[in-house]
Amino acid sequence: MLRIENLSAFYGEAQVLREVSLDVAAGEVVTLVGRNGAGKSTLLRCVMGLHAGQRGTITLDGRDVTKLPAYKRARLGLGWVPDDRGAYASLSVTENLTLPPRVGPDPWPLERVYEAFPALYTRRDSAATMLSGGEQQMLALARVLRMGARLLLCDEPTEGLSPLLVQQVGDLLREAKKHGVTVLLVEQNLHFATGVADRHYLLAEGRIAEAMDNSEVRSRERELLAYLGI
Amino acid sequence: MTGFLQHTFDGLVNGAFYALLALGLAVIFGMLRVVNFAHGAFYMLGAMGAYVLLAELGVPFWWALVIMPVVLGVLGMALERAFVHRLAQLDPLYNFLLTFGLTLILQDLVKSRYGVQSIPYAPPAELNGSVDFGLFDFPTYRVFVLVFAVAICVGVWWLLTHSRVGMVVRAATERPELTRAFGINVGRWVTPVFGFGIALAGLAGVLAAPMRAVNPLMGSDLIIVVFAVVVIGGLGSIFGSVAAGFGIGLIQAWGVVYLADWPILSQTLVFIVMAAVLMWRPAGLFGREEAPA
Amino acid sequence: MRRTAGLAAASAAVLLAAGCGGGGPSGSGDSKLTDDKIVLGVLNDQSGVYADASGPNSVKAVEMAIADFKAKYGDKAITKNISVESADHQNKPDIANTKAAELYDRKGVDAIFDVPTSSAALKVADVAKAKKKLYFNITGATTALTGASCNKYTFHYAYDTYMLAHGTGTAATQQGAKNWYIVYPDYAFGQDMEKKFSAAVEGAGGKVVAKDATPFPNDNFSTFLLKAPTLNPKPDTLGTMQAGGDLVNLVKQYNEFKLRDKGIGLAVGLMFLTDIHSLTPAALAGTTYTDAWYWNFDQQNREFADRFMKETGTRPTFAHAANYSAAMQYLEAVQAAGTDDADKVVAGLEGKEINDVFLRNGKIRAEDHRVIHDAYLAQVKPASEVKEPWDYVKVLKTIPAAEAFAPPSAECKM
Repeated sequence: MLRIENLSAFYGEAQVLREVSLDVAAGEVVTLVGRNGAGKSTLLRCVMGLHAGQRGTITLDGRDVTKLPAYKRARLGLGWVPDDRGAYASLSVTENLTLPPRVGPDPWPLERVYEAFPALYTRRDSAATMLSGGEQQMLALARVLRMGARLLLCDEPTEGLSPLLVQQVGDLLREAKKHGVTVLLVEQNLHFATGVADRHYLLAEGRIAEAMDNSEVRSRERELLAYLGI
Repeated sequence: MTGFLQHTFDGLVNGAFYALLALGLAVIFGMLRVVNFAHGAFYMLGAMGAYVLLAELGVPFWWALVIMPVVLGVLGMALERAFVHRLAQLDPLYNFLLTFGLTLILQDLVKSRYGVQSIPYAPPAELNGSVDFGLFDFPTYRVFVLVFAVAICVGVWWLLTHSRVGMVVRAATERPELTRAFGINVGRWVTPVFGFGIALAGLAGVLAAPMRAVNPLMGSDLIIVVFAVVVIGGLGSIFGSVAAGFGIGLIQAWGVVYLADWPILSQTLVFIVMAAVLMWRPAGLFGREEAPA
Repeated sequence: MRRTAGLAAASAAVLLAAGCGGGGPSGSGDSKLTDDKIVLGVLNDQSGVYADASGPNSVKAVEMAIADFKAKYGDKAITKNISVESADHQNKPDIANTKAAELYDRKGVDAIFDVPTSSAALKVADVAKAKKKLYFNITGATTALTGASCNKYTFHYAYDTYMLAHGTGTAATQQGAKNWYIVYPDYAFGQDMEKKFSAAVEGAGGKVVAKDATPFPNDNFSTFLLKAPTLNPKPDTLGTMQAGGDLVNLVKQYNEFKLRDKGIGLAVGLMFLTDIHSLTPAALAGTTYTDAWYWNFDQQNREFADRFMKETGTRPTFAHAANYSAAMQYLEAVQAAGTDDADKVVAGLEGKEINDVFLRNGKIRAEDHRVIHDAYLAQVKPASEVKEPWDYVKVLKTIPAAEAFAPPSAECKM
């Protein structure tokens, strides 16, 4: 579904991604792990079309989208879950959910969203930034599900969440996967990652250092955690 | 007490102009991140245009109130496409300089045709009298200005809060990049929003023509106070700019009366308030710190 | 600005050294004129707030004076080679400074005329003094030109803050304005006007109930206008020291709040004919102010105004007539002295008594170079009495020259 070839990215003079190539097949959940500053978020931003300084090719369903602006990529089915959860303070919860257009074949109706997230329903007319951190994370996920996005780009969706909420996020992603949604996930929580993902890439200094499957991650958990500094 | 009510009313009328101008600046800044220095020049063009319509074409005030905002809105959109747009990717300073240069050009064009001397423009006959409020009476035209400006602000507010366009504008104003990532072509809204902000400035200019000196420089001093208003309200905050507009109008009116013995203080009150607000809340009263992405 | 000023001064000095062989008045051949010609310089505001009241039409007025001078003397004229140079000082003192030096040094100007805006007017006085060249200030209002900043080569011709304030303050009080509310713009001119105006009102037995400084510039005077009727005792006259756009704002809003109907008349410190034109006489009907000259005052003025109208398409303000008069009197003085040597011309002008189209009972005071003359307490006519365009005013009273201006100041040391 998503193919990245020889992707390099720069912030001014500094190079943050070096010739990264990877594939994500339709219906797969793939995580990117790595230390802070390894280039994980930048990679997601490149896919979304939000990063200006880049070289390489990004293909979506066989279509080269490298030159496409972000809003057009979104309309091809990309769903953006930013690391800060992207809640609009000047929009109510409902408006936050209905702002993006429907882009996929299977968008969730608003009723279904509110059924799945009763907390959002009770706060539907409040400004989104009045929600708790966990609720904001739910809002971010609910929003891309309502869009009917086919490929979710999730930047650390479990960061700062209680174990119970982490569990809930995991359930959501597994549910989405069941419906054929593809996920590219930036994650530091290895336990969570192995619970939802099929494969993992370890990103180090802007390069793909290793590709691993779940069992490999599990067996090397102690070593990896030490490496990631967690 | 009567005096206080009168001055309060008067402050609100003056604030109405700040509010309309600040509202236009705020939507433009929000959507384009451009500090439109030329806003005062478009205010001036609104008033001059009302004069030209009346004196040279016999078009009355009421029509000017419709025609000038439309004409200037279109002109604003053309300028956005032709110039502002091209500098959007550069340092905001470039667009500040561009709009500053635009101000000088517009002022000098008007100067070369109509001179610098103020031009006469009388209020429409039907608004020439006074309204009796029991405790005091007040010029009808000023009552009209206040009611009209409040109606416009409420109308814009309603549009922003109750329409899909308004929702998109709010979202794009708050976080343009994120909004693009949600499939919204923010760029498509930039030109109309710029035109809309300019139209509001033109509208304020038409409203000013019957009660203020109409000349090429009428906007250049006013705009400094309006910038202070926008900063106090919070850059890009639509509610903040309107609230601060009326608030500063009130503070100025009260200041002149109750600080009459300290003219230095009453004349600089706006900037004292601005400094105080910035120290207490750097993003302005209703502003938010710039968020990433 | 400072940098360009320095550059201009430096290049002017180089040119001087190269061209004039050391400078100073040096006759060539039999003529007593520098370079066989007379050059008059008009330095004023060509596109700003004073452009209509004075500006380009003052250059026209000076050209008219040259034509009249040539016609009067014909072949007996000291020279037929008389020209005008003009420059725009944009009301900025530093630009006025540079331009004045440029006019004197590079354009060969013998005398500079006009120069509105007090701060700029004072700068040019310094330049005239340093260069030992003549300077007739017409549109600067500050009395400092004949006070602390007076000098041998500077003449103050048309009016000053004393004339404006005392004319209106004294005369209007004598005519029944007893209680005054004075508003003035908070900068040098306004503060000076307010002091002199209050003194004049109180000297004539009136009372200043209240006075307020207003921001400058300012487009909203409503607070002051609302305050006026609530003062105790209630003022019968609002005295405004505002000028230009601020004056227009104030008068518009004065009418909006219908203060005249509430028994509060309006007196204006400084007003040009062009201000009345832009506000329309209807908006100002009944307003009193002091005028240095009025075009439709008598037959002589009217004849000049008709000629001026042919040249410019508009009626002259007092500034235009004064520029004409000053240029004429300068040329007469050169003719009489038989030379353009500045010291000799000054000697001829000092103490001279003059009557011409602008100066009535005029006299150039030797002590301080104040040119005194009759001034006029004027009142804007009601619209119904305006019979022709620009005829907006009736003269209520002629203020004799000796009363119109302050006695020579002790501060002036020639």
